[in-house]
Amino acid sequence: MDKQLARLPDAESRNYRTLAISTAFILLIPVWARFIPGDVLHIDIVNVMVLAGIYACVVVGLNLLVGYAGQISLGHAAFFGIGAYTTAILCTRIHGFPTWLGVLAGTALSGAIGWLVGKPVLRLKGHYLAMATLGLGEIAFILFQQLKWLTGGTVGILNIPPLSMFGLKFDTDLKLYFVVWIIVMALMLLSINLIRSRVGRGLRALHSSEVAADAMGVNTSTYKVQVFVLSAAFAGLGGALFAHFQKYVNPESFVLAISIMFITMVVVGGMGNIWGGLIGVLLLTFLPPVIQALPQWLPGLPSGLQNFSNYELVLYGLLLILFMMFLPKGVADGLGRAADFTEVRARRLGDRRKAKRLEGR
Amino acid sequence: MMVADTLLQIREVTKRFGGLAALKDVSFDVTVGEIKAMIGPNGAGKTTMFDVLTGILHPTAGDVMLKGESIVGLRPDQITAMGMIRTFQTIQLFEGMTALENVMVGCHCRTACGFASSGLRQPAARREEKDIREKSMDVLKDVGLATRAGEIGTNLPYGQQRMLELARALASEPDIILLDEPAAGLNQYETGELAGLLVRFRERGLTILIVEHDMGLVMQISDEIVVLDYGEIIARGAPQDVQNDPRVIEAYLGIEA
Amino acid sequence: MRMGDRNQVRLLWGAAALVAVVVVFTLIYKGSTGLQWILSGLTVGSIYALVAMGFSVIYSSTRVINFAQGEFTMLGGMMMFTLCTRGGLPLWLGFLLTVGIVTLLGAGFERAAIHPLKDQSVITVIIVTIGLAIFIRALAKWIWGTDPVKVASFTGDKPLRFFGASIVPQSLWVFGLTLIAVVLVFAFFNRTLLGKGMRAAADNPDAASLVGVSASTSSLVAWSIAAAVGAAAGAVIAPINFAAYDAGAMLGLKGFSAAVLGGLGSAPGAVVGGLMLGVLEMITAGFAPSGYKDAVAFLILILVLLIRPQGLLGKPADVKV
Ligand SMILES: Nc1ncnc2c1ncn2[C@@H]1O[C@H](COP(=O)(O)OP(=O)(O)OP(=O)(O)O)[C@@H](O)[C@H]1O
Ligand SMILES: [Mg+2]
Repeated sequence: MDKQLARLPDAESRNYRTLAISTAFILLIPVWARFIPGDVLHIDIVNVMVLAGIYACVVVGLNLLVGYAGQISLGHAAFFGIGAYTTAILCTRIHGFPTWLGVLAGTALSGAIGWLVGKPVLRLKGHYLAMATLGLGEIAFILFQQLKWLTGGTVGILNIPPLSMFGLKFDTDLKLYFVVWIIVMALMLLSINLIRSRVGRGLRALHSSEVAADAMGVNTSTYKVQVFVLSAAFAGLGGALFAHFQKYVNPESFVLAISIMFITMVVVGGMGNIWGGLIGVLLLTFLPPVIQALPQWLPGLPSGLQNFSNYELVLYGLLLILFMMFLPKGVADGLGRAADFTEVRARRLGDRRKAKRLEGR
Repeated sequence: MMVADTLLQIREVTKRFGGLAALKDVSFDVTVGEIKAMIGPNGAGKTTMFDVLTGILHPTAGDVMLKGESIVGLRPDQITAMGMIRTFQTIQLFEGMTALENVMVGCHCRTACGFASSGLRQPAARREEKDIREKSMDVLKDVGLATRAGEIGTNLPYGQQRMLELARALASEPDIILLDEPAAGLNQYETGELAGLLVRFRERGLTILIVEHDMGLVMQISDEIVVLDYGEIIARGAPQDVQNDPRVIEAYLGIEA
Repeated sequence: MRMGDRNQVRLLWGAAALVAVVVVFTLIYKGSTGLQWILSGLTVGSIYALVAMGFSVIYSSTRVINFAQGEFTMLGGMMMFTLCTRGGLPLWLGFLLTVGIVTLLGAGFERAAIHPLKDQSVITVIIVTIGLAIFIRALAKWIWGTDPVKVASFTGDKPLRFFGASIVPQSLWVFGLTLIAVVLVFAFFNRTLLGKGMRAAADNPDAASLVGVSASTSSLVAWSIAAAVGAAAGAVIAPINFAAYDAGAMLGLKGFSAAVLGGLGSAPGAVVGGLMLGVLEMITAGFAPSGYKDAVAFLILILVLLIRPQGLLGKPADVKV
């Protein structure tokens, strides 16, 4: 291979290495979490992590759509809901319906509906796209509530069986933990492959300038629909897992606030940074339980502050604003810059030492 | 009947923006292997013509044929795949991409791997990716940017950004390239380099339609010139003839004289 | 653009005819009950119109969609409750204070969070205003609790009879206030130097310095107006709808659908869109299960965006290379 070519920074292999390390780390969490007695943290780490993994499915896909292709969606809770309701309905109405097939069906249906709505809606740009996806999300929510014969209305669907595959039953948080996070890592792998490929370049190009991307031969309208379908399918997959995790579904889990939470996770973590999405998920999923646990960690808090859940949303709103103001490119970018900074410092230090050595000779 | 070596035929193209006719019944041909220049004062409709040719805008009336086939109504990416590509008057490099990646995007229409094979990183995708990289690197070398491959495109000096846009377009293996003021903002030395480059590409069989305000460059390299003013062709012919045409001098060169 | 104007007029008449057909059908088919729906529709539609106007004012001056617009309206209602119903202030004073305080909040937020974001992407600004919405809602929940509050009507609750339907006097206040607000906003943008400058600057940002209105001033003024209009709407509708901490989200979404229907950025469009939406919504609620009422706004929103993104009265967005 070309010398110049070989010398280019290889972000690719760095990504795969990070993926391997973080997979190992995440899969080990339940092991060391065992050694922390529950009454020290007041947080059920494994339980929260399962939820985080479920959200991560959505956010990884949403990041491809928003962060890479630059197309906003404020309605992804709808796809999350479609995935959840699909498997919930199949597995409760049809006796003995394989749950894994329900999850697949949820993923597929979500993707299919993503294609149906994506085709017309993705012609819109910017604010208009944001509004249209928001409207779609609201319509989905109203349908979840109103199609009572199908969705059970506001009560929803109860007694959803736990996920089972290959004769194994994933009926505890711990068992589900591994399924969910292996799926997340698989989605991550898929996404990393994608963004470093011809397709990924096409998506980034259309983000930067649709006209220029078009003119350079990228079929932007098809790409937009395809990445939308992919993100809808990821969201549907997350939703289906969510149904089997929570064991019930009702419309409350698919409100506008959830769509906003997903997009916030992408933005707080870092748009267009595949790791950022994951960081955003972890931060925002752990935020509520941490806030709730705070009074127990700090028993000295004034009694008026005891019921911290009242302040949860105040804090949440404030964090959104502050993050956007001071870290608009997300935590991952901030971390990356910090890492670069230390690296540069370290290298400079090394250079200086080397120079000294040379001088000394 | 199409003349055998006519690559691009522009037939009575009209483009209106509301009440304003930016192009009025413009017709001309571009022959295989020639360097044709389209000149005219600001607002004459040159960029609009490029937008129409590349499918970014649709003509209000008229027809455009590339290699004998009408391309009106096709998407820009389809036209690019047919072998006609452009550069932009205001540089449109992709943000956050290295110079090499920018050029790699240019290879889009000559490659095929989609979401599935790329996402699963199948052997075909890997092979194609390797080809794209190597080919893009070759193109970068061609325009003298090989050493800048790993740098973010938009961080390069202005002249090199122009070259990078040229490289990105060339990566699509075009038969004809439309250059919208490629020398704008270049210094004299860089303009000279560009002229050499364009002549070299023409020798390799590339057809060029160039819009340019730098008359020195236009006179030096073009085989034929079409002059637009207020959306209409006011003159056409060999550089010397156009240069001496009183209407052109009045409309265009006169401004500078 | 002559052609565009003519199409627009034709479209407007088409839309008006469509709504008229629906209205007439409802009146014939349902009689005074139908009239009742339409009157309620006009009342709630006026509020949508005011919320939509808030969206439009900010959007046309700064290209920002303020997702917290509905929260200003919620705040208007809640503050009226505290100041007048609880605090016993005279109505006019409570109203002025409410509008004044919320305006200051809007202006303060613009300075604190929107102004520093000048060059950020659309999505960043959207998220900041969403953050503001969540923040205001949470604060309101903390201050006023979760139970809806009842604000006393301005001039009693004795319904007036009107062709077999009844209308509460507060509705008249709503109509009156909407009219006044529309006239004031219109006058501001067409008669005052600052307003005219803001419009010129929005049309041509490069010329902003020529007309002497900076983007920064524009943004501050637009946010203040939007907050004021929103608060006034909330204050006047509160006696009809119960005021509650979480009412802002839905109001915001409806107002924004109304703004899109009328043409985002167009003040007359906001009024037309708001009234049409309110009436259609109430008629739907009458004929269909009431749960589907909210879907009307979103269906209209999506249809308009797909068929005619610039709405009934908006300027078509020019495609730029
Ligand atoms: N999208 C558009 N909408 C309305 N008018 C346009 C549009 N694009 C171009 N025009 C108008 O069409 C005319 C031709 O513009 P064009 O950009 O083609 O000129 P040009 O010859 O490329 O000029 P220059 O040398 O300055 O680049 C101008 O009057 C311009 O204002
Ligand atoms: Mg031009």
